[in-house]
Amino acid sequence: MSLFGFHYRLERKAIGLTIGIIAAASVGGFVEIAPLFTIHQTVEDAPGMRVYTPLELAGRNIYIREGCYACHSQMIRTLRDDVDRYGPYSLAVESKYDHPMLWGSKRTGPDLARIGEKYSDQWHVAHLNNPRDVVPVSVMPAYGWLLTTELRTDDLDLHLKAQRRVGVPYTDDMIANAAMDAYAQSNPDSPQADGVIKRYGKATTMRAFDGLPSKLTEMDALVAYLQVLGRLTDAAHKSIAQAEAGQ
Amino acid sequence: MIIEHAFLVGFSKSFGLFYLVALSVAAVIYAMRPSNKKRFDEAAQSILRDEAGPWR
Amino acid sequence: MIAQLTLIERQRAILISAAVALLGFLMMLAGRDDPMGAHGALIFVASILMIFRIGGSYYAPPPSDDRLRHYYDDPSKVGIVISMMWVIVGLGVGDWVAWQLVNPDLTFGTGWSSFGRLRPVHTTSVIFGFGGNALIATSFYVLQRTSRARLPDQVSPWFVLFGYNLFCLLAVTGYMMGITQSKEYAEPEWYTDIWLVVVWVTYFILYLRTLARRKEPHIYVSNWYYMAFILVVAILHIVNNLAVPVSLGHAKSYSAFSGVQDAMTQWWYGHNAVAFFLTAGFLGMMYYFLPMRAGRPIYSYRMSIISFWGITFFYMWAGSHHLHYTALPQWVQTLGMTFSLMLLIPSWASAGNVLLTLNGAWDKVRDDATLRFMMVAGVFYGLATFEGSFMAIRSVNSLSHYTDWTVGHVHVGALGWVAMITFGSIYACVPWLWKRERMYSPKLVEAHFWLALAGTVIYIFAMWNSGIIQGLMWRTYNDSGTLAYSFVDTLVAMHPYYIARAVGGLLFLIGGCLGAYNIWKTIAVPGVTEEHASDLPQPALAGALNAAAE
Repeated sequence: MSLFGFHYRLERKAIGLTIGIIAAASVGGFVEIAPLFTIHQTVEDAPGMRVYTPLELAGRNIYIREGCYACHSQMIRTLRDDVDRYGPYSLAVESKYDHPMLWGSKRTGPDLARIGEKYSDQWHVAHLNNPRDVVPVSVMPAYGWLLTTELRTDDLDLHLKAQRRVGVPYTDDMIANAAMDAYAQSNPDSPQADGVIKRYGKATTMRAFDGLPSKLTEMDALVAYLQVLGRLTDAAHKSIAQAEAGQ
Repeated sequence: MIIEHAFLVGFSKSFGLFYLVALSVAAVIYAMRPSNKKRFDEAAQSILRDEAGPWR
Repeated sequence: MIAQLTLIERQRAILISAAVALLGFLMMLAGRDDPMGAHGALIFVASILMIFRIGGSYYAPPPSDDRLRHYYDDPSKVGIVISMMWVIVGLGVGDWVAWQLVNPDLTFGTGWSSFGRLRPVHTTSVIFGFGGNALIATSFYVLQRTSRARLPDQVSPWFVLFGYNLFCLLAVTGYMMGITQSKEYAEPEWYTDIWLVVVWVTYFILYLRTLARRKEPHIYVSNWYYMAFILVVAILHIVNNLAVPVSLGHAKSYSAFSGVQDAMTQWWYGHNAVAFFLTAGFLGMMYYFLPMRAGRPIYSYRMSIISFWGITFFYMWAGSHHLHYTALPQWVQTLGMTFSLMLLIPSWASAGNVLLTLNGAWDKVRDDATLRFMMVAGVFYGLATFEGSFMAIRSVNSLSHYTDWTVGHVHVGALGWVAMITFGSIYACVPWLWKRERMYSPKLVEAHFWLALAGTVIYIFAMWNSGIIQGLMWRTYNDSGTLAYSFVDTLVAMHPYYIARAVGGLLFLIGGCLGAYNIWKTIAVPGVTEEHASDLPQPALAGALNAAAE
């Protein structure tokens, strides 16, 4: 093909313009995103960080399903008032197992990055059931049906498998026992409870989160998730302690 | 890891500037080139003279 | 409409619908234990209806070759009508959730109607439903006229339009059933995302095919913007939605990215959805309809080209300003802030181009509400881009971020710029498309204009106030060095502004309803010149005539 013919095609079919747009538009994103995939070389690591239990993961999915992220952030900024109000600022490593991240963009309600164990299970259940019973001026919707809806557990192994495929280190053992672990975490007296501790560590919170050990509800899952927020690793508290010791 | 984080960051911080300058110069040359003036004036006017139908 | 299709095109349309119906059926089977099954049923029913619709006119006489002497405008017409339906849904749901923040018990205690699920219904309906349909409809219109070329076939434009609306429908019904990825403005799940890719590739190829048929060597600048919109949205959409589904029978998927990478990818997407969906596309619209309505060429064509490359290049760097003071590395934040500030140059070049084009025609702006919609859109575009650059400065962002100020800023752009330029373009386009001398009621256009302007101003002032007050309360310390206000204290302070915001939104919604009614009447009441459509003055002239007549 002659050079003229090539140029004709380039212009006639608008291919030149297409290439120009791609060339101009692709650079910015690429150079900002690509280095983040090597970030683990530089930032603090959290060797003891554990993964979400099946019950907590199910709760996280309910959090996503209900759009909680639209009003609650999970990202404490490096600002004095953020730290004073919500706790040590968030580190990148703390959300490394969060597919997707739930940093949020709006605080119609308060930040939840470190809400875990700040309130009792009973408080959370009452608050989710009807926020205005606990906080009279709250504008949060009531989620009463969570208490009566049974949690679907038969496919939790598939969820864990998909998580492993995107890089979360779930073991074969965890995947095989996913449904049972979800049940056992909210039934600390059941014989299967030891398995949860074995697989996810001693620090795992084992409680009947909704107050009803006999039934595994969506409330159990959501409260289990809220209670573990900010507690998968203590890296953030450590880095602050180190900084203070260094001063 | 073959690609070093520091290298990637350094590249990101510097490369964009050169790219920015090159692209701006290219865009301005294209837009301001006197030989393109007629084509642009024609384009700006042409939409106002719709022939009320496609040529094909 | 179907009578316009040739026999072979009717067959193709039925074949495509049948293929989609089969897909829907398979989804129904695979997802029978999952909300995905309901979506399969929806796809199946929609495609079967489509087959019946085409089949009903299958034996209609074939169209004459006369059709090739006219532009193919049926998809544009349908697109505009659908767009007006979406705007009422989107504004309606938006105002409803605004009232939910005033009175949170407006949820009736059910899942589908709670704020968290309805909020994406609002954003998707207005951005993708209203904005997207208006972009597709006007892009077909502008593309054909600026290229002086007819769309190359009569099936693919329909596939793009209806396929796109199927995407929107799957998205909003999904949210109410709890199907969401949680990525803002990219909430639909994996199968809906894949479907959009198919539609979008068809759209882009259709665009290139039509451009290849054009008469003049130069491509008019509107098409540059429309092409950037199509192309870059495709890139953003594909990268940000990379995910692994739980199974082929599950709607749920897990994002390929996590944590800080995911945050950067999401806001690279999120901010450029604003840039290329809500800015580039609508600038394309503006660069055609403003000169046409005003009856004068754009003030500086060169400036429009320079600002095109500026916007295409700068915007892609700016996303990280959504993540100031977070766990994102600071150098990325700084880059984002720097480019956000530089963005002001190409943005104001475009806004200036709008006003300078109208300079010397202010009498038309005074008399013609349609042109005034476009003028005000230009002003709000300048305002929104200034505010955006300002809010991207780290220290300003530390106050504004997470507050209603951001919500207000978004609505300066969405109500003031996007909706206003769209309403202006639609009011210009409808009489031209349906061969009417003018809109059914110019008075209603006037009323719509003032309702829209009042609604926007009330909305953004309410959000500026509440945002800045809340941001300041969060960071106020008392004498003993502890935080002065609890979070709940700030909620109480927000209440009056939430009421004001909902009222502003209501005004905007009423305006939108007037617009839909006016357009409906314009279409439904036959114009005096219906039979002599070919005698009608050309659009450019008609625009000038309208302006004089109103």
